[in-house]
Amino acid sequence: MPIYPTLAVTAAVVVVVLELRVLRSGLFREPAYWISMAICYAFMIPVDGWLTKHSAAIVLYRPEDTSGIYPIWDIPLEEYAYAFALLTLVMLTWDRVGERAIATAAREDVRA
Amino acid sequence: MDRFQYLLLMGACVLVTLPLELYFGARVWRQPRRLAIALLPAFALFVVWDLWATSTGTWDFNPDYTIGLTLPGGMAIEELVFFTVIPICGLLTLETVRGILRRRERA
Repeated sequence: MPIYPTLAVTAAVVVVVLELRVLRSGLFREPAYWISMAICYAFMIPVDGWLTKHSAAIVLYRPEDTSGIYPIWDIPLEEYAYAFALLTLVMLTWDRVGERAIATAAREDVRA
Repeated sequence: MDRFQYLLLMGACVLVTLPLELYFGARVWRQPRRLAIALLPAFALFVVWDLWATSTGTWDFNPDYTIGLTLPGGMAIEELVFFTVIPICGLLTLETVRGILRRRERA
């Protein structure tokens, strides 16, 4: 497999394992997460489509390094795995930081 | 003006999602400390990946549509904006959907 799809799929798998084995936040059981991801993918099409359109690309890929599969416009298939990894990782850390803050506040409440 | 295309696209992403914070009560921009800490791991990871992918030639940036400031290896400075703006759009979406679902539950 070319390098970009290999790394994009690896990143997505690592993020899933991080949640299921380490963080266990329950994000994947939350309907809001899946609805949000669907919305993000819908907006990814025009944004990433603009970045990658072959007629006037902002980001240029070396063809041998990509899957060469373009389901919508000129967005490489692996870009959807890349987006999944980026967005999910940030949502996981966002929730983690928020929970920590709540836990700290609760401890301070107990002490107060 | 074409050289600002990438930056303008990122600006459009900020503008389009701003109502989520202002009118839908997402509270993402209003927690700057939490936001900065939350963005950091993905930012570091994806920037390292980007620096490497650009230096090895997996991807490259069109000088016609970028301002021309690059990091070692040729990574466009706009990518740093991308790894800040796009995750914020994702978080604004998540917090907005959560808020809507919570309000529906209470109703």
